[in-house]
Amino acid sequence: MNLVRAELERLSARRFVQLMVVLLVVAFAVTAATTLVGSHKPSVSELNSARGQAAEARRDLEANHQLCLARQNGDVVGDSDDFFPSDCSAIDPIRQDRLPIPADFLPGVFTFADQAEPLLYFLIAFLVLFGFLVGASYIGADLTSGGVVNLLLWRPRRTTVLAAKLGTLLGAVLVLSLLASVAYLATFWVIGQTAGLPGRLDGEFWSSLGAVHGRGLVLVLLASALGFAIATLGRHTSAALGALAAYAVVWELGARLVLEIVDAPNSDLFMLSSHIGAWLNGGARFYDEQICRGSTGLSCEGFYTMTWGVSLLVLLAITGGLTAAAFAVFRRRDLI
Amino acid sequence: MSAVIEIEGLRKTFQSLRSGRRVAVDGFDLLVEAGQVHGFLGPNGSGKTTTLRALLGLVRADSGRMAVLGEPSPELLPRVAGQVGAIVESPQFFGNFSGYRTLRLLAHAGGVPVSRVDEVLDLVGLHDRGDERVKGYSLGMKQRLAVASALLKDPRLLILDEPANGLDPAGIREMRDLMRSLAANGVTVLVSSHILGEIQLICDHVTIISQGRRVATGRVDEVLAGHDRHEFLVRVAEPERAVELLHAAELTAVVDGGALVVSGVSDPTVVSRVLGEQGLWVGELTPLRPDLESVFLELTGAYEHPSVPRQVGDSSLPQGGAVIDLDRGVDA
Ligand SMILES: Nc1ncnc2c1ncn2[C@@H]1O[C@H](COP(=O)(O)OP(=O)(O)OP(=O)(O)O)[C@@H](O)[C@H]1O
Ligand SMILES: [Mg+2]
Repeated sequence: MNLVRAELERLSARRFVQLMVVLLVVAFAVTAATTLVGSHKPSVSELNSARGQAAEARRDLEANHQLCLARQNGDVVGDSDDFFPSDCSAIDPIRQDRLPIPADFLPGVFTFADQAEPLLYFLIAFLVLFGFLVGASYIGADLTSGGVVNLLLWRPRRTTVLAAKLGTLLGAVLVLSLLASVAYLATFWVIGQTAGLPGRLDGEFWSSLGAVHGRGLVLVLLASALGFAIATLGRHTSAALGALAAYAVVWELGARLVLEIVDAPNSDLFMLSSHIGAWLNGGARFYDEQICRGSTGLSCEGFYTMTWGVSLLVLLAITGGLTAAAFAVFRRRDLI
Repeated sequence: MSAVIEIEGLRKTFQSLRSGRRVAVDGFDLLVEAGQVHGFLGPNGSGKTTTLRALLGLVRADSGRMAVLGEPSPELLPRVAGQVGAIVESPQFFGNFSGYRTLRLLAHAGGVPVSRVDEVLDLVGLHDRGDERVKGYSLGMKQRLAVASALLKDPRLLILDEPANGLDPAGIREMRDLMRSLAANGVTVLVSSHILGEIQLICDHVTIISQGRRVATGRVDEVLAGHDRHEFLVRVAEPERAVELLHAAELTAVVDGGALVVSGVSDPTVVSRVLGEQGLWVGELTPLRPDLESVFLELTGAYEHPSVPRQVGDSSLPQGGAVIDLDRGVDA
């Protein structure tokens, strides 16, 4: 407990952490301010017109679908140059992901229900980066400056000291992420209420937003632990940054290219970025033309899926493995 | 007396890709008993810091047995860590912390009451500068802060690696007084230093290391006595004639400056009698006692060719490998 208290003091006093928090607040303030400036509460006539436009757009979709079906059945011998897909169900309004809603026809009006999720993704991306960098620099700086040695002269238990550092880091990042995301969403919710539209904030909306939020926080914690583990293994903050850059260039770009050239099947399975996407979105679908090679008929769509469960396991295994390795190495290493 | 630090056969080799294997400590033994102020001497690169690091669990020894306050180290070091204050090679602190905050952080980590922070700052003379950032401290002030951090726990055993590094003359004297008062209160001190005069003043015991091996250990006065060549400085009116007379009396004497250095003298009255009988009256008869510096230089072979710049690591072990251990007699 004492150790955690000391670590917390150390973590919060780090210039880099303070800088990142300031950056977070600034980015947050700028986004909120521009949203506020660019949005207004729609007047009744604006709303009515938007409703009308949305209804019309929906009618158009439906009409198009009907026309497509009619042509298919040969009821209409059209010479129109409109494009219709061979399978009309592709433009069936019922099968669309989303249909036109009034908010689509309200330029300059911020609609919370529509924008909350993309805004949250932005925040999560920032926090993931924040966690990784802070995690890496926290241990990296203390290893190079001799802070760890100093502490070990006081508490000569290496595992305890490192665990207290990691625990404090994860706890602090979690609390900060929770506070930041709640403040963030609350601010935009207020903007939606006062200077825009709240949109449809039903239970479905909140549960889906909550799911993204929860998954995002898990990702932030994993990134923090990963940065911490790599920097511990490499003794330097730069080890984590270098590993990240090397991974991105060599594997995500280079190996992906090679895998594509040699036509390796399901190459996305080997990319961490796919797993991150699959975990955040609750699953992902990837196209691979090879799946349909050899199979005849239209039943083959050429997609394979990645479930969030498997992706989480992959992410956990990588982070857990590296963290375990970091502890094992740190226990035995000469600290100069 | 109980042993506070025991090291037996400590060996540590550093491996590095660029320079290969380097034996830093090579079968080193050290025994520090309760209540001693024990000096730990050796040339640069002889393995002092490495020994202390191994003892404190910062580097892994290849082999050897170590114990601190009776507990095997590093396995059970945590049991006694609360009673051991240590600084190893000018510790680094966080630059943007104040001295006070640095110590408070350590106090939190070690479960020491924060009230102790002011006491130790006072003790090392940083009381008025404790609120300034460590970044702005001078070398000596950082060293004082390091000593303060070692004292924070109110330790029974204090291990100081070159505490006088960067201290001004007054600071060195304060450090000496501090160590004496700690010793008077029963604190055992192991201190490494290159300021041999200082060690001779404050330490009652000493261990000398050269190339990772112990070359001497024991009470300071006994180590010095072991190197006493029984030399005397003699001033007489006619030095040349005196030399002849002394040679005739089977004593070795040389003229050095205006005076004589007579060696192998077991009884100084012989000198004055031999000379006095021939009407040469002795004006001065001073025993030339070896000091720690001369013993150190002799033992570590660091002063064999004064005109050739000596390289780090050139230090030697005594010829024939005899180790002077005055606690146990000379073993070959
Ligand atoms: N981390 C390391 N890697 C490789 N060699 C090392 C390392 N640390 C120490 N050494 C080597 O071990 C030997 C002993 O070094 P050590 O620091 O113990 O000497 P010292 O007696 O404390 O010297 P000084 O009086 O200069 O402080 C030296 O030759 C040094 O080069
Ligand atoms: Mg040293």
